[in-house]
Amino acid sequence: MIQSSVVAASGQAQDIGSVVQAFIMHHVSDSHRWTWFPIGYQDLPAFLTVHGVMVILSAVVLVAMLAMACRRVGSVPSGVLNLVEFFVELIRDEMAVPFLGEEDGRRLTPLLCSLFFFILMMNLLGLFPCFYAATANINVTGALALVTLAVMIFGAIFRNGLGGFVKGFVPHGIPWPVLIIVVPIEVAGLFIKAMALAIRLFANELAGHIVIFSLLGIMLMYGAAAFPMFVMALAIYLLEVFVAFLQAYIFTLLTALFIGQRYHPAH
Amino acid sequence: MVGLSGSIAGIGAGLCAIGAGLGVGLVGASAVEGIARQPEMAPKIQVTMLIVAALVEGVALFCAVICLLGK
Repeated sequence: MIQSSVVAASGQAQDIGSVVQAFIMHHVSDSHRWTWFPIGYQDLPAFLTVHGVMVILSAVVLVAMLAMACRRVGSVPSGVLNLVEFFVELIRDEMAVPFLGEEDGRRLTPLLCSLFFFILMMNLLGLFPCFYAATANINVTGALALVTLAVMIFGAIFRNGLGGFVKGFVPHGIPWPVLIIVVPIEVAGLFIKAMALAIRLFANELAGHIVIFSLLGIMLMYGAAAFPMFVMALAIYLLEVFVAFLQAYIFTLLTALFIGQRYHPAH
Repeated sequence: MVGLSGSIAGIGAGLCAIGAGLGVGLVGASAVEGIARQPEMAPKIQVTMLIVAALVEGVALFCAVICLLGK
């Protein structure tokens, strides 16, 4: 029954392999059609894609959740606020202050917290049925990495001055012929680091979702005989919950590390 | 018997899995060894381990994306 409905959804009769491939790609790629399986679908206007809706939705949910959690701030935090406070303290004391120093760390903690909670919310939203992971789209993660790149460049210029920023690319204690090689590598590294941030988050999320849908696709191909795949898919799904937290953590950690390298180029 | 169409990109994906497995495995093994020797340093070692593992994994993911695109 599911097989026939998938074949019907894909338009024409194909062999089951390409049907499963279309099934996987349909669930991880961006489109203008938001499908609520099995009820129906909603066509979105031309300026909005499904992943765009997910970005906006996660921002709205995040703001609403944090506003509700922070409405009653007493001396003893409770409920969601406890969890939020745990992560904020983790970001401030384990990432911002060690990599950026006391003053800059405290100043940049709000940025790092925003990145962490936003990425976490997008990752987790992608795990709900009928929702999509916006972070499995290179454009979304690229935009997030551009924020990091902007702080790495303009934040460092603002802090160290233009001269200090340029001097940051020239390591001292190295004979000058070597600098001809080292300086271009350092400058290219600025952009490669940001690109690596974007690709890491994107590829992790995309790969995780493809694995889940591949396992479900095996069930489409072999029917009831492949029922154990359901258990496997569930296990991978639980792994994805962990990965959602881990990738948000890694993105924030590396952002703090990279910004720290530009802010304090001496070490 | 049904089958997915094969391509050389699958071999590439397997090769980058070997590299990433070796790299992350070495990082994890050394971190566990370090924590076993000096349990009081565990938090610092864990953070460093995560950073290095993420960097190693980043290279492997570049390869995985290339395999995906080159399919």
